[in-house]
Amino acid sequence: MAALQSASELELAQLIVTSLNLEGVQPTDIEPEAPLFKTGLGLDSIDALELSLEISKRYGFQIRSDDENNVRIFSSLRSLAEHIQQNKADR
Amino acid sequence: MTDPSIVPIKLHARAWDARGATLLPVVVGLNSRAVAWHRDRLITQAEFIAEVSRIAASLPASGSMINLCEDRYNFLATYVAGLTVRHEVLLPPSRVEQVVGEIASLHPGSYRIEDEDRGATLALASSPIALHIEADAIAMLGYTSGSTGQPSAQLKRWRALHASAALNGASIRRVIGLAEQDSAAIVATVPPQHMYGMELSVLLPLIGGMAVHSGRPLFPADVARALSEIPEPRVLVSTPVHLRAMVQSNQVFPRISLIVSATAPLDRVLANAVETKLQAPLLEMFGSTETCVIATRRPSQDDAWNIYEGVTLEPTAEGTRVDAPWFHRSVMLQDILELANTNQFTVRGRNADMIEVAGKRASLADITRRLLAIEGVEDAAVFQPDQTEVGTIYRVAAAVVAPSLTTRHIHAELAKGVDPAFLPRPLILVESLPRNDVGKLPRDKLLELLALGRVKL
Repeated sequence: MAALQSASELELAQLIVTSLNLEGVQPTDIEPEAPLFKTGLGLDSIDALELSLEISKRYGFQIRSDDENNVRIFSSLRSLAEHIQQNKADR
Repeated sequence: MTDPSIVPIKLHARAWDARGATLLPVVVGLNSRAVAWHRDRLITQAEFIAEVSRIAASLPASGSMINLCEDRYNFLATYVAGLTVRHEVLLPPSRVEQVVGEIASLHPGSYRIEDEDRGATLALASSPIALHIEADAIAMLGYTSGSTGQPSAQLKRWRALHASAALNGASIRRVIGLAEQDSAAIVATVPPQHMYGMELSVLLPLIGGMAVHSGRPLFPADVARALSEIPEPRVLVSTPVHLRAMVQSNQVFPRISLIVSATAPLDRVLANAVETKLQAPLLEMFGSTETCVIATRRPSQDDAWNIYEGVTLEPTAEGTRVDAPWFHRSVMLQDILELANTNQFTVRGRNADMIEVAGKRASLADITRRLLAIEGVEDAAVFQPDQTEVGTIYRVAAAVVAPSLTTRHIHAELAKGVDPAFLPRPLILVESLPRNDVGKLPRDKLLELLALGRVKL
């Protein structure tokens, strides 16, 4: 049973499951603090690329990895959701 | 030995050792030219050679180098250091521990080089190094996960890599319209350990008169930034997966002179979209770890591939035999190639076992073997569902018989030996596999199973 997700975390979890075709994973199953990549959900850089396209379509900004925040941003659902909240374009 | 920092090396310079063996340079060009950019800092050939000599002095006295550097400049410098002291350089197909461990066990006394190791050499004094090595020296062992279960090694001699760099460099210069001595700056989205990454982002800067950005950008915004950090003319070395992401993004890119794509086929629709978005010609390269690049085409204009001069192809019942004067022996490719004439071919069928995703390569048979090795797995089939759109990422799928296990457990166990890019998705648990009378698994039955598994979820 996953710890409680915030509304923005649940929205991102739904985006992750649908855009990456994670069959068998319920959005509510994704632990907010658990790693998304390698261990945890076992996603890789190609998933990150796919996810970045969906994020830019939905939230109107480009994800980039070439700064020191890279590891932190993608470390968990919570940190990625926070990054989106801070950077998303006003609509 | 002369001081390496003051010896200008002429393009294609050759030399001979005392016994008359042909020597070829490990780096070619003027000492003032750019070899690499680390971010927007230019690294000259003189600085590069000094760096190589410091690293060479820090290496173990003997052994084989497993080069795991991710930073492309670190890879270049440690690779050349390994060459100058004649250590075998081993290039694993993945950084996954089990895979690296298997390669290490085949080479007792091997050592690993990672990005952090280079930092330790900065304080060392440089000492003179040999900037020419024997043309027949073993220049790398590229590993692929073989269908037999053992990683199989592809041995490359330095003369073959020189030939490859000359051919690739010439084909790039021809499309851009550059003269033989003109440089170009490369950004690559593929790892240097992959043969395509090795040829285009390691050999071209070393011996092909070009220069390379040290990064490996992933997201479209990263690619744009890396491109903005190097001067024109710019060459983007990438794959259909990365290029498709760039086309779909609303990122604006600096001016590019040429895009190179390989690792998976690109169709005319995506090729046109890439050329429109990036406003540059796209050159597709055809090759393999076994042969290096052997042909190119402009996918927006041509279906047929133009074979590199000197390469000969011979279609046989088992596949296509490829040979060239610089090969140490001919190579049998599983791909079915149809010769239009001596200079051109079209692809009629690809090797069904080998799969490539964004510059990584794996064998379906190898993944199946690793699945079957997991305790509790009774039967397993790994296969590729049909691809719906060119350039989309299509994962391998697996059907597994393991009554006592969960998919999560199987994934976690498999991840110890299989790169994340090739972890089966979906991995469905079934009661039995639809084997036919002779024990084979018809592909249509597997696809049916997959469709059923999807409906149930």
